[in-house]
Amino acid sequence: MPVDDVVLATQGDAAAFERVYRAHMQRIFNLARRMAGPDAADELTQDVFVRAWQKLALFRGESSFATWLHRLAVNVIIERFRTLGTARERFLADSEAVLDIAPAARTKHLDLSMDLQAAIEQLPHGARTVFVLHDVEGYKHEEIGDILGVSAGTSKSQLHRARQMLRVLLRKEL
Amino acid sequence: MTEQRRFGESDHEPLAGDDILSQAIGQWREETPATDLWPGVASRLEARTAPRRQQFSFTLPQLAMAASLLISVASGVTWLAARQAPAQVEAQSTVIAQGEAAGEIEGGIVNANFADAQFNAAVTDLEQILRDERDRLDPRTVLIIERNLKAIDVAIQEARMALNDDPANAYLNSHLADARRRKLDLLRHATELASAGGN
Repeated sequence: MPVDDVVLATQGDAAAFERVYRAHMQRIFNLARRMAGPDAADELTQDVFVRAWQKLALFRGESSFATWLHRLAVNVIIERFRTLGTARERFLADSEAVLDIAPAARTKHLDLSMDLQAAIEQLPHGARTVFVLHDVEGYKHEEIGDILGVSAGTSKSQLHRARQMLRVLLRKEL
Repeated sequence: MTEQRRFGESDHEPLAGDDILSQAIGQWREETPATDLWPGVASRLEARTAPRRQQFSFTLPQLAMAASLLISVASGVTWLAARQAPAQVEAQSTVIAQGEAAGEIEGGIVNANFADAQFNAAVTDLEQILRDERDRLDPRTVLIIERNLKAIDVAIQEARMALNDDPANAYLNSHLADARRRKLDLLRHATELASAGGN
């Protein structure tokens, strides 16, 4: 995508912004799908681009536009989790939370054939987020900690447990 | 930067290649939405125009002082950026090599050549106006303006030279764009001043 489209979009050119959208939509959609699940992915993707339009003036070019947009998307998705969050799904407030994965849900799903998408949906939002950001998107624990407002140690702990849970769930598929 | 990283390069113990999770991640398909989401985005976009440039009015001494300050700062940061260039080149080339080709760098980096033609045309026009109107300005004013323009040109030239060694340096690109914008601002103020008869 030409650099000019971001510049033009920053100046209010909606046609240029549509080109920006077309260039980045799939990546953002898949990020949303992995972090929040397929049901929420469409709406979150739209939310991300609406937010991007509103915040474009703040894009200073310190990072690439793709990086800026990706980080914005992560924040929008996490904001959604927090809005919807209950005490049980409170975001990483307790590093042990992932251990608290509902036994009923586990029993219910263990005998089902599932791919990684289905398996990851068995995790609490926090553990799923850490797994996707770290193992799929390549964020470091320090960065994840900054995004989520937790320590790097908590992020590591969540990742360790998320991996353990996912291995169990995936092996059941084999 | 996140999008250029590859799986397993983060700071946690990497997954083994034969780990079931590693395989699952590798096979995790990219999908596209079932419907076009753009209409839903477009309907929510508020009309937005570029922020209107605020009109400032400066006295000539203020203008001269601001330009001098800009030049001092610009020279310093260009020197600093140039000193850091080797490390940045190494870091950035690593990132770029893992992701997009260098020529496809997106968004954040304004290429040094960006809008060269428009910039040069605008500068040429304003300089012509200033030449035509300069007799209406006090000679000391003309001297100050020309001195500051020359100094900004030096800053632009230094930034360009640094960019020759490190063309992908976002800071230098941003700095160059900023210096060029300030040159245009100074020329505009000068021509406005000349048009107003030097008052």
